[in-house]
Amino acid sequence: MADDDTRIEEETGTPRGWSPHPHERMLITPLVAGLGGLLAFFTVVFIVVWLPIHTFDPPASYDWTPLSDSAVKGRNLFAENGCYVCHSGYSRPQDVREALYFLYPKVSQPGDFYGSDQSPNLLGTERTGPDLSQESGWHPDDWQRAHFYDPRFVDPLSLMPAMKSLFSDTQIEHVITYVETRSGKSGLLRYAGQLYSKHVVTTNQGFTPAPTGFEGAHSKILEGNDKILSPPKDQLEEAPNLAQIDRGYWLSGDPLPVTEQNLLRGKEVFLQRCVGCHGIAGDGKGPGASFMSPAPADFTDADDACCGGDTGPGDFYYRILRGWPGTAMENFGDRLSVNDIWRVVLFVKTIPNHTLRKNVVPEPKDYIAWQPSKELVAWLKSRQQLTDNASFAKKQVTDPFLKEAMSVFPGLAPGDKFLLNDGKTPLSLKDAAAGIKAIYEDLLNRAWNEARARGDKLPDESQKLIPPTVPGQQ
Amino acid sequence: MSERTTSPGAEVLDPPPSLSGSAERPFSFPDRAAKHWLLSAIFWLTVVDLFGLVLATEFVAPEAFGGISWLSFSRIRPAHVSGVILAWLTMMYFGALFYMLPRLVGTRGLWSERLGVWCAWAWNVMYLLGIIGLLTGHSQGREYGEFIWPIDIALLVIWLACVVNILATVSLRTIRPIYVSVWFFIASPIWLAVDYAIGNVIWRPGNIWGAPSGALGGSLSDAMLNWWYAHNLFGLWLTPMLIAITYYMVPRITNTPLYSYTLSLISFWGMAFLYTGVGDHHILQSPTPSWLKTIAEVSSWALLIPVFAFTINILGTMKGNWDKFFTNLPLRFTLTAFFFYFLVNIQGAFEAIQPFNKLQHFTNFVVAHAHLALLGAFTILGMGVIDYIVAQVYKRPLWSRTLTEWQYWLVTVGFTGFFSVLTLAGFQQGFSWAEGIPEVNVLPQLHAYYIARGIFGAMIVLSGIVQIGNVVMTIFTDTNERRRRETLKVAEAVAPPLPG
Repeated sequence: MADDDTRIEEETGTPRGWSPHPHERMLITPLVAGLGGLLAFFTVVFIVVWLPIHTFDPPASYDWTPLSDSAVKGRNLFAENGCYVCHSGYSRPQDVREALYFLYPKVSQPGDFYGSDQSPNLLGTERTGPDLSQESGWHPDDWQRAHFYDPRFVDPLSLMPAMKSLFSDTQIEHVITYVETRSGKSGLLRYAGQLYSKHVVTTNQGFTPAPTGFEGAHSKILEGNDKILSPPKDQLEEAPNLAQIDRGYWLSGDPLPVTEQNLLRGKEVFLQRCVGCHGIAGDGKGPGASFMSPAPADFTDADDACCGGDTGPGDFYYRILRGWPGTAMENFGDRLSVNDIWRVVLFVKTIPNHTLRKNVVPEPKDYIAWQPSKELVAWLKSRQQLTDNASFAKKQVTDPFLKEAMSVFPGLAPGDKFLLNDGKTPLSLKDAAAGIKAIYEDLLNRAWNEARARGDKLPDESQKLIPPTVPGQQ
Repeated sequence: MSERTTSPGAEVLDPPPSLSGSAERPFSFPDRAAKHWLLSAIFWLTVVDLFGLVLATEFVAPEAFGGISWLSFSRIRPAHVSGVILAWLTMMYFGALFYMLPRLVGTRGLWSERLGVWCAWAWNVMYLLGIIGLLTGHSQGREYGEFIWPIDIALLVIWLACVVNILATVSLRTIRPIYVSVWFFIASPIWLAVDYAIGNVIWRPGNIWGAPSGALGGSLSDAMLNWWYAHNLFGLWLTPMLIAITYYMVPRITNTPLYSYTLSLISFWGMAFLYTGVGDHHILQSPTPSWLKTIAEVSSWALLIPVFAFTINILGTMKGNWDKFFTNLPLRFTLTAFFFYFLVNIQGAFEAIQPFNKLQHFTNFVVAHAHLALLGAFTILGMGVIDYIVAQVYKRPLWSRTLTEWQYWLVTVGFTGFFSVLTLAGFQQGFSWAEGIPEVNVLPQLHAYYIARGIFGAMIVLSGIVQIGNVVMTIFTDTNERRRRETLKVAEAVAPPLPG
């Protein structure tokens, strides 16, 4: 029977063996199939398409903001280039957990999708990468530029395609604006915190602004200009840096013992996650480094690694856990376990002894123990007074801008007030809150004005005045 | 239920009168339109398969194509998805339709074969332009509705020309009662035309070369419309056509009348009423109205009614004919597709309920499900249909049965592996996410699955290429002559010519 399938049918008008339908049962004529089919179709369309579209019109949520012109352009590029095939555009109830605070601080609400600048929808069907509905403000712009240019520059585990050949320098800035301002007011607040911190960090270390667009790919790694700095004499030079680390970590040691296993695991994690910026040699000259201002930390300097006031194990731990707002250092708190972070901290302190070389197993003898400098201890003593050091007021802080300031400068006490290393820019929680508020309001007003000029559908002006909320603030 | 006629062919109407007047002359269908659509379809199958292989490669090695913008994952994926649906499957379906329709309604061909041929060419050009648009970043950015507005319009014009051709052919019919397949051949293209026009919001062209365009103003309204439309590409076009073609292939090849007329009624009207409302089950986790989600969940389950009606009908027709499953390759393709089609519906019903949806939503489980329908069911059916129709229209056996066997096993094993791997990867993702592990940390765990997917995917690509080879060789070789020689050889071996 091998040739049964290639048997040629006899060509008659009616297929052989066709069962003719009994005439009295022939209920379906072409008209019934065509028009009846359409009738059935439109009945259901009325219920599942017309009704929901015409009855479901949720008002703008408190968190909602319009998009600026640049962000709208970015959104269109996002849609045109198919970014939604791997990144969904809403966080689901089951996404929001404490462990994923940095990714999904809140569940998307119907009112978050208000307005006519949210078209087409970008809800997505599949996640290879994370959801981006809450992405704003977690990363500074220079990180975004390096990441878009080649995602492996900042995250070696990423599977995302490099965007260097997809976007021009101007286009990528639009896309970044979209990503940084798409998450509503809570996202704008975070972004304002990032921008303010960036101002503080670059001023404090004498860095010029990071290259824009994809220019970073062809520029040199930035170096801080110490000459323009004149730190106040009575002030610890590392004080502004320490202001971005919770005080509880300033003097804490590594809770894990310095063993070969811990160091080796630390090296493994370092190679998996850190080499994009900090370099395969740990010298801060990774492929992503030239996009960034300030440039990534260099771990190869044995002296610096053991003496700096803000390079203790606790400081490193805190920066890996929560990131360093204002620099391109992102938080790894939801991606690395607590012990793995401590192991990386252990390992980093062996890098000056060339433990990053291939096939070298870091050994406990390579570990450089950190000693707090005399100046640091003296500084701490001078700052660790009860007065103005911590807030013991019953009343909780409700001002969202002050909350954000406390979040990006967790090391500042309410009474702390000092100058940055340029010798003139003041730094205090109050200044930070005011700065963040100004940036936030500028972003928000610009978006509203541009949306109004575009003729977009906008809620009542009073929606704009509702202060941002900080979802899930720890 | 059982209206099985015991004497097949008893009431067959007279063959249509010959156009030339000489009733004696052997008549043959022109099938020009069918040939154009089907041969284009085979070509597109390999193109879109290769797109898929590029995607699979990029999952393993994101840098594999070194920053060529038009091979970027995010641009290829819409090209792959729309290519499978609108280039490969749609062209294969129209080809099959244009082959089957004249035979079913008793005309001497289509109303206009020439129009059918023109439509095939126009469709190829339209699709090529659409793909070029997607690969150069001209997309509306709505899933399954990515084509820019001018392409949408071109697509609809060609589509309506095909609908006219179909309806005109039906109106010329000499067999008054229309067979089950023809119901779908009439209704399904009309459904899809309306679905495509509404779903792509063609009355809002916006920025016609990109986004925003062809979308509703409100994001969530647009999402509800988007998914209603996207699911109806399957519900009102791909699935009904699978049913129609299976209703043709199985009775035809087994030479058995269809098991039940009533069951076909259920499968037709059930499809019309229940499939149209399931789309919202794609966004069960989104902030859209609960009542709409409930309708989607209920319809997704109620959909099992027409599915079971169809299943029973086919199994009833196959009763006593299962030997042909092993000997007849087009039938084997058809029934394999039929089995996967049954499976995809059962799976889909479970995916559409909240508790299970919560786990597998956004994971590769959904990707596996989509491939079960589009690859396991529709594509495998299409391969069988092409093997069957090519032999019929060229009136010669396929060049190599061995190659057809290779084609079958490559696609079946390739697909089964592909599906299993992605399902497992989906569970891995779903359970990991449920534990609070972020997406990027799950990626290294998926690496092995992605490699396996690439290998199985390569088998599928190979299967399509084998078919191209086999079909091309069939067209350019007189396989009838070869078979005659072979038969003669066997005959001579059995009964050698008498000496002298």
